[in-house]
Amino acid sequence: MAAPPTTGPGSVAVDATGGGPGRPRFRPRRSAPAHHLPRPAARAARRGVLSFWPQYLAISPFYLVFGVFMLWPVFYSLYLAFHRWDGIGEMQFVGLQQFHFLMDDPVFWLSIRNTLAIWVLSTVPTLLGALVLATLLNSVRRFKSFYRIALFLPNVTSIVAIAIFFGAVFSNNFGLVNAILHMAGLPEVQWMSNPWTIKLVIALLMTWQWTGYNMIIYLAGMQAIPGEVYEAARIDGAGPVRTFLRITIPILRPIILFTVVISTVNGLQSFTEPQVLFGSNAANANLGGPGQAGLTTLLYFYQSAFSNNDFGYGAAIVWAFFVLILVLVVVNWRLVQRGRKS
Amino acid sequence: MDLSRRRFLQATVLTAAAAGLTAACGGGGAGGTRNGKNLTLWYWGGGLSDKVVKDAEAHFTEVTLKSAQIGGDFKQKLLTTLTGGQSVPDITGIKGEDMASFLPNANRFLDLNDLGFKDVAPQYLEWKTKLARSEDGRQIGFPIDIGPTAMFYRADFFEQAGLPSEPEEVAAQIKTWDDWLAAGRELHKAVPSASLINSASAVFDIAVGQGTQRFIDTGNHFVGDQDHIRTAWDLAVRPYELGLDAKINDNSWNAAIAKGTLATELGAAWHALDISSAAPDSKGKWRVAPMPGGPSNLGGSFLALPRQCRNPEQAFKVVSWLLSPANDARGFADAAIFPAAPAAYAMPQMTAGDPYFGGQKTIDVFGPAAKAIPAAYEAPADAALMARYKTELTNVETKGKKPDDAWKDAVAQAKQIAQRQGVR
Repeated sequence: MAAPPTTGPGSVAVDATGGGPGRPRFRPRRSAPAHHLPRPAARAARRGVLSFWPQYLAISPFYLVFGVFMLWPVFYSLYLAFHRWDGIGEMQFVGLQQFHFLMDDPVFWLSIRNTLAIWVLSTVPTLLGALVLATLLNSVRRFKSFYRIALFLPNVTSIVAIAIFFGAVFSNNFGLVNAILHMAGLPEVQWMSNPWTIKLVIALLMTWQWTGYNMIIYLAGMQAIPGEVYEAARIDGAGPVRTFLRITIPILRPIILFTVVISTVNGLQSFTEPQVLFGSNAANANLGGPGQAGLTTLLYFYQSAFSNNDFGYGAAIVWAFFVLILVLVVVNWRLVQRGRKS
Repeated sequence: MDLSRRRFLQATVLTAAAAGLTAACGGGGAGGTRNGKNLTLWYWGGGLSDKVVKDAEAHFTEVTLKSAQIGGDFKQKLLTTLTGGQSVPDITGIKGEDMASFLPNANRFLDLNDLGFKDVAPQYLEWKTKLARSEDGRQIGFPIDIGPTAMFYRADFFEQAGLPSEPEEVAAQIKTWDDWLAAGRELHKAVPSASLINSASAVFDIAVGQGTQRFIDTGNHFVGDQDHIRTAWDLAVRPYELGLDAKINDNSWNAAIAKGTLATELGAAWHALDISSAAPDSKGKWRVAPMPGGPSNLGGSFLALPRQCRNPEQAFKVVSWLLSPANDARGFADAAIFPAAPAAYAMPQMTAGDPYFGGQKTIDVFGPAAKAIPAAYEAPADAALMARYKTELTNVETKGKKPDDAWKDAVAQAKQIAQRQGVR
């Protein structure tokens, strides 16, 4: 049985960054070509496609769906970025005009700043919290499954429901948090008005949702660390903190890098949180709340394309954002490479 | 065996493709007389009276009327469906604020004048009908309802402040915006916990609607930086400067109304339902008086027939039945949908006193307001521009941004949005 030819070296790049738990996956690049080379080239070329047709057919649904719902829209949006289109009328070619507007649009730059701020505010506590929780959970003896499920639950809860709940808890005048502050004799905070507390609430929501997810991944990684290593450390007289910093963290490094990449992708795409938190205000729907402090780039894209029916400009926004994500991914990639060499 | 399976799969794929093609072509070809037996009606929850819609389904026997309440972003779903050209509803609602953005593509809808709207048009308010007419005179929307605005106020607070509290007296005393602000100062002295208004945006919305011109003129020029908008802006900022603005820009409005921290509310007729459901305990304390500075409109929708409509004649009959003055009045009683047909204002469902407003006949305020609303041209980009000004007003309220700076930013951003959408 030959390996499915389509999932060869092409997917290695993805696996290398995403190869967290299954660490051996870092190596297929070397083994795959060795497997293919000895074969007669002509046979593989002529009969390859024909004789494997059931396999191709079996995997085709994914590629069809991917092509129709992912690939085509991606390229169509690039096409749209050079046009002016209201959704149903005539499309008008405008060249680079949309990108010129983008450069001069203070709201776009504001949305980028918001997105990055929310990303940092959510990713750092999420990953640190997940690491600590995973360590604690790794040493727990009883109710293991209960803790795991309890901590993972936020991740499978509907994000809209969470956002509505957070909106009520942090409401300016009548929220639970302010009621508690008031009872404790502390001054109330205008959570949903101040530009920084708005970001904080959104970041908190994302932290709450994603900590459990990352914890499970770390936990899986920790369980793969052989017990002898810890035993040796204990014999040498290392305490729990030292063990954590000198053994757990270094061995988990590739897994941590994987979660950083995933969190970057998730964190930069924050959209539902601000959309729901501030969407109930009909007059300000999709504007990201007071001072537009919760206006993330994707929310701004949604507002431009789907509220204002300015699809060309919306497409320009996401493509500019794509470039930004690409830059961050390259930075991450560098980190991964460095981690592998050492 | 292998071969036959392959044949089978090929045949399946081919059949599926052929079916898809047929379906795709079937939707496009619309030749000949169109006398389909099925009609679908799209509206949103609260857009039409459910009872009237149900009655219509029973009333029309020649065609089968199927109604669907579409949730979520209605305009977006309609737009996508129209662009896709598949499963297009035969009759659809269009929200008032979205109408302007559909008008440049009026050819996507049937001209109701061809189907007999001309004959019934005089029954409906002209300024409203005009909002659904394209530049070349195509009438694409049949008015469902309007949103004549008025000032809702807490009669008990007015009394405490030594102000007149009966609607007629209030109407006589508070005629202009200055009168309103003066009353606000008195109110705040007597009832310090109460603000005059929930947010600056609410004032701005109304004040812009009181004029005959909005952000873009009929010649497609940006006029959002001119005096009429600036006046509305300055007015909106006044309560904030005087400390009479509650600065509510989130969903805590419900709680504020329930707690009784708002002395007046500027809103459309349908706003009565918002107030009474948010503050059931304040029953009998609220009253309605005419809007200071003259009437304006907020909201109100249309029914339209997309070009793909399978039976235009019957569909138009359904629409004109649903929106006849008699059924309009029922809609008001049932779902607080304020009719666009003035004949309905004299019907018993509308002239009855409202117990929430202490038995006041609110139609005495809203009826005259509805007829006196100024007609203004709304450009497709209008709603997007309005959002910019409101955002900056919110910045003034929440961040303490200087009103002059906020004005400059609002104008600059609004201008850019207008330019993006092809306004000169």
